[in-house]
Amino acid sequence: MKENLNIDEMLNGFIDGELTVRQQTEIQRLIRHDPQVEQRLRQLQRCKMLVGALPRDEAPDDMLERVKASLERRTLFGDETEDFSRQKGAKHLLGRRLLTVAAMVGLIIALGAVIYSIVAPESVSEKSNPLRRETGRIAARPEHILTDFAGRPVAATAFRGRLELKTADFTAVDAFIRRAIEDNGISEYLGSAIQNNRSVYTLACGRDILNSLLSDMENIWPRFSSATLFVEQDRLGEEIAVAGVSPLRIAEVIGQDSYEKRIEAAKKFAAMNEVNALLPGRQVLAAIDGRKPLSITIPRPVLTSGEKTVEKSSRRAELGEKVQLIIIVAGSR
Amino acid sequence: MRSGTANINIDEAVLIEQCRRGDFAAMERLIIKYQNRIYNVILKMCANPDDAEELTQETFVKILEGIENFNGRSSFYTWAFRIAVNLTINHCKRGQKLVTRSIDAEDSEYNEQAKTQLKEFLRDDGSSEPSAVAQNRELCRIIVDSLSKLDDTQRAVIVLRDIEDMSYAQIADVLDIELGTVKSRLSRARSCLREILEANFQ
Repeated sequence: MKENLNIDEMLNGFIDGELTVRQQTEIQRLIRHDPQVEQRLRQLQRCKMLVGALPRDEAPDDMLERVKASLERRTLFGDETEDFSRQKGAKHLLGRRLLTVAAMVGLIIALGAVIYSIVAPESVSEKSNPLRRETGRIAARPEHILTDFAGRPVAATAFRGRLELKTADFTAVDAFIRRAIEDNGISEYLGSAIQNNRSVYTLACGRDILNSLLSDMENIWPRFSSATLFVEQDRLGEEIAVAGVSPLRIAEVIGQDSYEKRIEAAKKFAAMNEVNALLPGRQVLAAIDGRKPLSITIPRPVLTSGEKTVEKSSRRAELGEKVQLIIIVAGSR
Repeated sequence: MRSGTANINIDEAVLIEQCRRGDFAAMERLIIKYQNRIYNVILKMCANPDDAEELTQETFVKILEGIENFNGRSSFYTWAFRIAVNLTINHCKRGQKLVTRSIDAEDSEYNEQAKTQLKEFLRDDGSSEPSAVAQNRELCRIIVDSLSKLDDTQRAVIVLRDIEDMSYAQIADVLDIELGTVKSRLSRARSCLREILEANFQ
């Protein structure tokens, strides 16, 4: 079969004049000596002649006009469509590029703001950082301005601050604080004011006495629904707010031996609040618990031993530095 | 010759260059030069005059639109026929505008005179000549119908060789196949066509 096919190919090549001289000679020899090959050659020749004998059809007379009309139509509509599509595509691409650039810029700004709020100096960044306001927020200067007995502002190196406490059991807690202040013999206790479920105690004393007072207050600390320490910054007249503060942390802030260190400690605790707020899954967990996700505070530490974390007699008391603190106790529902 | 293609004697390279520059007169000359040959090949392949007209028109539009991209690696002649044959083969494969009439059903409609003439010619008894075949329209219809029964690629090879009289190398260029493939395909196509034709009088 394959041999026949090869002979057919050779015979067709012979008919079409596509063989080399040597191949032609070979085919001619085969034809002379093999009648079957000769017959097959004639069959193929006749088939070729039959197809080749078909009349030549001519294109219609208006072919030229039809081609010209088709070209003109394509030029008119095809190009316009193409231009329109190209313009539309270019606009779409430009829009997507701008959107991508805007998204990248926005992302970089947001990321930069978060990083800057953590590492940058407080004095520059706090005003423009909404996250900061939410947790370690900057509060307005309190209405109670600390002064000494002569009415002069206290020295820049002394601690000045405000502790705002909220409790659902206002009467009992307020009575406890008042008694604790009296028991600690705070000599420069400037008095208190009780008004509409709100007491204000203005204290000016040494660190050791204040530590003693805080130590006493540890017993009632779990009864506060919130405890926020506001540390004043003398330079800018602003405050650093440390939410969810514990007696230990208050003592730590007050116990620093310089103004800068106190500010730094307060910032550290405020920043910890921020990091705590940014922890992934926090809001989800809050939602699962049924709590509002916006109440972002560090849980108050619970003292588990009888040891006092704040020593009543501090070495720094010998330094004679005065601490001025306003304690505001407010009733909460 | 209605369009007088025989009188056009312009160097093809110059004509193509003029077309590339947007010379409409050159484009017209190019169309006139090739329209009959391209139309004839397309008609023998698709066997439908209306389709052949549309395909010829589309072929020239594509030729003129793409002439700027014609790189000259092959001759313009084979490049133009490649466009025509590809369009026609694709058209036949789609089958959207193919003749829907059944050729088998019409076999009995061929008159006996045509069948006898075909039989005599194929058996080579010397009573029929190719010129006589061309004058018998019924016999021509049998041949065209028989060509239609071939595979698209086999039909293309046989039309390009026996009607357009292309060389094997040109056919290989037009169909973008190897020379050996042209030989084997043409051999099979002629064998098949003979069998189809003989079936008309057996």
